[in-house]
Amino acid sequence: MLELAQWLSDTPISLAIRQRDWLIPLLQTIHILGIAMVVSSVFLIDLRILQITRSQSTAATAHRYVPWIWTGLGILATSGLTLIIAEPQRALPNPAFQIKMLLLSIAIATTCAFQTSLRRNASFWEGSGPARMMNVLAMGVFVLWCSIALAGRLIAYLQPA
Amino acid sequence: MERIGVILDWLENTPLAVSIAQSDWAFAIIETVHVIALALVIGTVCVVDLRLLEWASAKRPYRELAREVLPWTWSAFCLSVITGSLMFITQAVEYFENTAFRIKLALLLLAGINMLTFELVVARGATNWGHDLRVPWPSKVAAALSLTLWISIVFFGRRVGFTMNPG
Repeated sequence: MLELAQWLSDTPISLAIRQRDWLIPLLQTIHILGIAMVVSSVFLIDLRILQITRSQSTAATAHRYVPWIWTGLGILATSGLTLIIAEPQRALPNPAFQIKMLLLSIAIATTCAFQTSLRRNASFWEGSGPARMMNVLAMGVFVLWCSIALAGRLIAYLQPA
Repeated sequence: MERIGVILDWLENTPLAVSIAQSDWAFAIIETVHVIALALVIGTVCVVDLRLLEWASAKRPYRELAREVLPWTWSAFCLSVITGSLMFITQAVEYFENTAFRIKLALLLLAGINMLTFELVVARGATNWGHDLRVPWPSKVAAALSLTLWISIVFFGRRVGFTMNPG
């Protein structure tokens, strides 16, 4: 991992990004806007699953916001990858980054499972009956995304001296 | 001006500010909560603005959407202000003198004025939007302005982190 990080940071593109001092804050801004898309979409879908908002069906709410989760993730992956290329030593060997990627893969799997379940068994998600497990799951997924943000922020704090 | 200096100096030396500054993890956690809260502000503002621009949720009555989403925008905004203030007091003097920070506050003020003008003047006939009337153009201008301002607020907020000396 360290060798890969070293090699990446010596590539001309890595140098080129680092040499422009406004580029990294700009990439981080784009990254934060991606976080806004994902976190808010997850939040609004969760509100519907928890039945705090009811004016639309769960299916309609998911139809409106799930595509924004994927768009947001695309933006996060692109800006994140560019940030890694710029400063590979900062991220790749960092335990906060590694935990972040692990949590992220769980969150992505959960999103895929939700989409599949909604397609196969839509009525399950509309019911107001014993859906307590779904409520716990909805809150758990929101906490999961928040932990990903926390792990991401901790990358800056767990720098090797 | 001297008065402000005294207040900022006092803020920095309050027990709360000192304990945040001295803790290893407090700042990182406050910063993360700030990021999540502002993500919710921006995201929910975007939902409403894109509705006004008729780029998304165009068939939903505007009032219904706003009633569901905007209370969360305000809650998240309060949380951003609280976490933002906690970060501010740890280095009040330096934040106050930071150009990016000042631009950010000015943009926040503009976003506030834009929102007030929209709510008090422009959105008067909003009950009908989505039923029989289309969103009139002044509202679209307000929505476009709001999107631009909030994106710039994020940029200058991030810029603050790069232009401050480590405390």
